[in-house]
Amino acid sequence: MTRLSHLLAFAALAAVTSAQAAELPAEIKQAGTLKLTVNSTYAPMEYRDPATNELVGLDVDLAKELAKRIGGLKIVWSETPFAELIPSLQTKRADFIISGISDRASRRETADFVDYLATGPQFFVMADNAAKDATDLCGKKVGTTRSTSFPVEIDKWSKQNCEPAGKPAIQYVPGENSIDVRNQLKQGRIDAAVQGSETLPYAQTQEPGKYRVVGEPFAKGYQGIMFRKDDAALREVVTEKLAAMIADGTYKAILDKWGLGANAVAQPMLNAAPQ
Amino acid sequence: MKPAPALADGFPDLSGMQIAREPHWFRWISAALIVLVLAAIARAFANGQIEWSYVGRFLTAKVILEGIVNTMVMAVLAMALGIVLGIVVAIMRLSPNPVLKTVAAGYTWLFRGTPLILQLLLWFNLALVFPTIGIPGLWSARAVDVMTPFLAALLGLGINQGAYTSEVMRAGMLSVDIGQYEAAQAIGMGRLRALRRIVLPQAMRVVIPPLGNEFIGMVKATSLASVIQYPELLHNAENIYYANSRVIELLIVAGLWYLLVVSILTPLQMLLERRFARGTLRLAR
Amino acid sequence: MTRPLVAIRSVAKNFGEFQALKNVSLDVWPGEVMCLIGASGSGKTTLLRCINQLAAIDAGGIWLDGELLGVREQGGRLHRLSEREIGRQRLKTGMVFQRFNLFPHMTALENITEGPTQVQGRKADEVRAEATELLRRVGLAAKAGSYPAQLSGGQQQRVAIARALAMKPMLMLFDEPTSALDPELVGEVLAVMKELAKSGMTMMVVTHELGFAREVADRVVYMDQGAIVEQGRACDVLGAPREERTKAFLSAVI
Repeated sequence: MTRLSHLLAFAALAAVTSAQAAELPAEIKQAGTLKLTVNSTYAPMEYRDPATNELVGLDVDLAKELAKRIGGLKIVWSETPFAELIPSLQTKRADFIISGISDRASRRETADFVDYLATGPQFFVMADNAAKDATDLCGKKVGTTRSTSFPVEIDKWSKQNCEPAGKPAIQYVPGENSIDVRNQLKQGRIDAAVQGSETLPYAQTQEPGKYRVVGEPFAKGYQGIMFRKDDAALREVVTEKLAAMIADGTYKAILDKWGLGANAVAQPMLNAAPQ
Repeated sequence: MKPAPALADGFPDLSGMQIAREPHWFRWISAALIVLVLAAIARAFANGQIEWSYVGRFLTAKVILEGIVNTMVMAVLAMALGIVLGIVVAIMRLSPNPVLKTVAAGYTWLFRGTPLILQLLLWFNLALVFPTIGIPGLWSARAVDVMTPFLAALLGLGINQGAYTSEVMRAGMLSVDIGQYEAAQAIGMGRLRALRRIVLPQAMRVVIPPLGNEFIGMVKATSLASVIQYPELLHNAENIYYANSRVIELLIVAGLWYLLVVSILTPLQMLLERRFARGTLRLAR
Repeated sequence: MTRPLVAIRSVAKNFGEFQALKNVSLDVWPGEVMCLIGASGSGKTTLLRCINQLAAIDAGGIWLDGELLGVREQGGRLHRLSEREIGRQRLKTGMVFQRFNLFPHMTALENITEGPTQVQGRKADEVRAEATELLRRVGLAAKAGSYPAQLSGGQQQRVAIARALAMKPMLMLFDEPTSALDPELVGEVLAVMKELAKSGMTMMVVTHELGFAREVADRVVYMDQGAIVEQGRACDVLGAPREERTKAFLSAVI
């Protein structure tokens, strides 16, 4: 089912992009800058390097490359909490959002996503925890960032995997952000945590040997570049350039730099996440 | 207007004339301007991109009402803790014992010198420093099991409040005429008994009005506990908009409730002030 | 041979650089009414406050009823007494302040019963009965339930005297008891003090009321700049002072 929808999505995108040569909206061309907002607490996607306080990350690198290819544009970054990302797009404070945000049906009411990275929520525990399979976490306390879609994902997974097996449901414990969640895991306030699979390789290089992944990402999804629904022109330009980056290997190089080569997509897709 | 008729001794007779009312043009004009500005703001909000139906729908949602209850419970308990600590620390600060004085000054310096949100985060994450806590030989427990969001919020808010309350209490105690303390000593009372029976009761009359004000501040300070997962009003409102993306609408819901609570507490606090001021005026010679 | 109730020997008291009392020695005999007169800053109030230890002396010693106040001798050195012991010593004296210092949050009766019940731990009904009697003695039986704010200055001071008497002291100290009163109220307070003197209470009164001193005092002490200049019978000191300074002071106030 997913393969078919991918195919359809790619076809739709290809149809749209080949129909006309994508044109950069006039205001952006005139300004010569791209306005982007990020939630910079999400390593390795976007975060501040603790040593230099510079804004770095996979999304930052992709955005810089895109901005160059679109028309030698400069990027003006601004930072917001995660919950403010979507409003900042609606109010046109941002031209588009590339900030580790998942493509979800509930968000497609007011926006379109160009999917560029495979992801999915992932269980992980402290290295010395006994859990072997994800079902070992039934009945345990599992924490995640409360402002994301993960609490709903955990609940869904628990209903699908714990209840039928006759096990107690997972107890969800809220956290403010991914660092807070990892802190609670270290202190033992929670037995396991859930984060996007794109953040775990970074966490593991930061604190080697501390964490252990349990099972596979339990819902397949995509991170998407988010555009306003009425901004098709800009979206097409970006899609075109992204496809080019994938074709010539720049995209893969950037992903490898951040340890996320395994999360690569074959081509950019439009609104392709399963739900 | 005829000039006043002259009296017999040459001065004009003003006895029949009234003083004319001043028209206060500027007041009328500025009031009208302010009303216009407010009307424009109201209109902008009404026509803005706010889905007022969401505000109405969530105003009395169960999770919001629970949040308000948790907010008030925490405000009352943390304030109570703050007052107890404030009295103890103020007494220590006014003690002749230099050790007590320094400890009290240190406590006040530390907890007034760091932001409340920082203190809350430290309390909540205490287990990073002390994985187990307890009394050696008697009882021990995992810090995370003891330091729930509720306890972390209570300690953070209460101990912080104590540092501010101790200054209010100290000012209150110093405001009591020293003659009162001397009269208590003259009938043989020790320092602590004199404080308890004579000075503190009089200090309370001076101290209760500003404490009422502090309580109103505490009600709003509880919103900081949202970051350590205490389910008070703001935290619960955030959870709703994290799920449905209606950020402004839910913030308006929370804001309206805070406003309501403070609007009820403010006249109560003014009544309190008036009652105690009456008391102190009565006491003034 | 009777010994003085209060024996003050070579007492010095400094407030920083300022010498409030310089080498003061004085005896006060049981049953004696002593009036201390002098200009402000002469040390008379300080002397009183050293006797009930609201101020601590820097040199010399004060004995009350044979007991050394504030310190005890041990191993050739003087050690300060604890707060509790000083409180106990204070029970032997009663003080009446210039500004009354009644407890405003208690009624007249409660002001009087406070000391005996709280400090001396005596039974409430007993104490209340005695307090009522004391109020009657100072002429304020009807005001037992009144708060200080509802009483005139003279009435407050009389309650203050009753409050001090409730502790059954052996010495009463009066620090300018009528200075803060309107002239028409002075008389009622002086009347109470006269009655107290007549009943045999030992009294030390710092006052400007020379008429009272002349009438009631057994001895008048004139102090100036922290030292006793002249002392003797009231008629002598006030009527025919020997010292120049005494003469100058008296001619200035009369």
